[in-house]
Amino acid sequence: MSRSLVKFAAIILVIAALLYVGVYGLDFTDKYRIPGITDSDGITQGLDLKGGTVIVFRAATTDPSEEDMDNVVNLLRRRLDFQGYTEASVTMQGSNKVRVEIPDVQDSDTAVETLGATAQLEFKDANGNTIMTGSEVTNASSEYGQTEQGISRSSYYISMEFTPEGQQKFSEATKTAAAAASSNMNYITIEMDGNVLTAPRVHEQIDSDSCIITGEFTADEASALAANIKSGQLPFSLAVDEVKVVSATLGEEALSKAITAGIIGLILVLLFMLLIYRLQGLMADFALMFYVAVVLILLANFHINITLPGIAGIILAIGMAVDANVVIFERVKEELKLGKTVRSAVDAGFNRALSAVIDSNVTTIISAVILWWLGTGTIKGFGITLLMGIVVSMISAIFVTRFLLKQMIGMNVKNTWLYGLNKSDLSSESVKGGKA
Amino acid sequence: MFDIVQKKWVFFGISIVLCLISIVSLIFRGFNLDTDFSGGIALTYEVKGEDFSTEDMSAIVSEALGAGKSASSVQKSGDDVIIKVGYDKDITDEERTEFSNTVRDSITTALEEKFGKAEYDGAAAAEPEEDETAATEPDASAEPAAAATATQAPTTGGNLVSGVRLSSMDDISPSSGRELARSALWMSLLACAAILLYVTFRFEFTSGCVAVLALAHDVLILLGVYSVLQISVNINFIAAVLTVLGYSINNTIVIMDRIRENTRNSRKESYGEIANNSIWQTMTRSINTTITTLLTIGMVFIIGVASIKAFALPIIIGIVIGFFSSVFITGPLWATWRDSAVTAKRAAAGNGKSKSKKK
Repeated sequence: MSRSLVKFAAIILVIAALLYVGVYGLDFTDKYRIPGITDSDGITQGLDLKGGTVIVFRAATTDPSEEDMDNVVNLLRRRLDFQGYTEASVTMQGSNKVRVEIPDVQDSDTAVETLGATAQLEFKDANGNTIMTGSEVTNASSEYGQTEQGISRSSYYISMEFTPEGQQKFSEATKTAAAAASSNMNYITIEMDGNVLTAPRVHEQIDSDSCIITGEFTADEASALAANIKSGQLPFSLAVDEVKVVSATLGEEALSKAITAGIIGLILVLLFMLLIYRLQGLMADFALMFYVAVVLILLANFHINITLPGIAGIILAIGMAVDANVVIFERVKEELKLGKTVRSAVDAGFNRALSAVIDSNVTTIISAVILWWLGTGTIKGFGITLLMGIVVSMISAIFVTRFLLKQMIGMNVKNTWLYGLNKSDLSSESVKGGKA
Repeated sequence: MFDIVQKKWVFFGISIVLCLISIVSLIFRGFNLDTDFSGGIALTYEVKGEDFSTEDMSAIVSEALGAGKSASSVQKSGDDVIIKVGYDKDITDEERTEFSNTVRDSITTALEEKFGKAEYDGAAAAEPEEDETAATEPDASAEPAAAATATQAPTTGGNLVSGVRLSSMDDISPSSGRELARSALWMSLLACAAILLYVTFRFEFTSGCVAVLALAHDVLILLGVYSVLQISVNINFIAAVLTVLGYSINNTIVIMDRIRENTRNSRKESYGEIANNSIWQTMTRSINTTITTLLTIGMVFIIGVASIKAFALPIIIGIVIGFFSSVFITGPLWATWRDSAVTAKRAAAGNGKSKSKKK
């Protein structure tokens, strides 16, 4: 009994600690800290809650075609997505302007620069002839690590993959360049919008479907460059028409009211579970607090952009998180009604309900993954929040609740009333259906 | 406890009627679309001399527009306020200019009443800020709607001291909203296909079809409610529909899981009996889960501000429809489908021996 009590107390303490970290954060040192949601860097708020920057770009060409402008809108959309600004909005304004609204942006100058860049990537030989362009690149990503053997210093670099044609062109160019080693012309320059990013020397033919670009990049520069290479080249350059910082579309009270609603909703669900499922409900309540704590920690640390609908979604998820427990507890009650002991009823209830819990959650996970993977903008962000909610709630409902209940049984708490059974349930055979 | 499967035609009837109403309304009435989808105009005013909040501004604009219309967003930027108003539905290109001018005039009048007419300090145009102001001036050649503004809004005469001045007016394309709606539709279809595959793999094909049909049913009726009542639809509505799509399947799967288990254990019951028993055995769970979900989202609806209410409402409607379809439609539909499959098989086998025997 005492061992169960210790385990039980331990997990309650863990949940309380997680909850504390989720709300207030945890500072180990100045460098290593976990922000909580009340920290200023804890939550990335969307345009509707915090405001942001509005940038209006004008096409630097006369009479752009509608098709080109549509392309520009889509390209900007992709660049923003690749840089993690999934909640940003891009709209066409008039016939030659594009309006970009970015929530909570730290550095609007960089945003303006990287978004508006034409992003014309060119590989040139020593004589300045273009070998290939960005259209031969299928994928680009920013990475961190050692770029050369023997050099222990790590730096940010951009890793690219070529199309088959690109690979061939690159292979031929490196062969030619390597042959020119004697005249000191054995290098290839890689230029972005006319600026030389890097000009590596070539010592031998390189027949590879990938290459890396090194340079003195910061993390942000590398990821912005990679995003631009990946999203492709604009049909023309964009001039900045105006940049302004705007307030939230929703007032201050919107957020505080939503939080109040969330807390009241949470309390109601906690009470509901306690009233209906008694001791099991109490264990589910602890598991729900675990769920809330983990979600808060994830929100604060993965910089998920939170808009008001996002908050509503998270609050909704609190109601849904107990679903798996409701399925399981109903099953446990059924097993108890069949006259099983508490211990075997809990085991059987969990085992039998498991398939329902897993199947119903997997179907939701399928939708969430599709939204996150293929979605753009708001939908992508929504997919992540949904996925996070389901996975965490499944873990808390299955593992945390079960662990707590086991400790309860270990402490010899075996009154069936506590497990949600009423006296009348035992006397009258109320289970219908095809069970023997 | 009454037999849901036996009364199935009552529930099927309700569903069919609701679906038909939804389809007819979607075809003939369509949606009441917000600027995200319909496009609209963005007006930027400079307000000096008096501080204002976005809430007050929204209220003034709603009153000025009348007829239950309101701005789709109001944002503050220093002394500037950006007001976006969506075009009316089915507006033609010619009517847009007129619409824009009417909206601009009524909002300008209302703001001037509140904050006073524009007064300038009379400084010469050489002020450094003047350049900035000029840059925000609409590009007259490109936008016919804004061209009218350029002539009306004073571009010279010094800095604004007090009152309110329209500094720019632009029309905004609907592209991002439509794009988002289109991709949401494709992703929903893809999600349905993937769910069908998964459920067919874990259960059987009939269950998969029933689950996806129920899902489509829920979303269709939800869209129908919005079309019939002409509730304004914005980008957040897409997220709400996707939420319903993601979660409404849960109830169905829990019932299907019980049907799967009962089919395995049963010897003599018909499919109808199995379905009915399964529905009732999971009924408490279906009700309790719906209650906990409604407790939280309901609180958001009751306490939240207007825009969050607008997000919570479709979810609440979707949860209620989802409960109805999972409990009253999926089970009976599954039983009917299986029964007819058995009948068809028996007919094909020439009154063979397969007497309602389950696999």
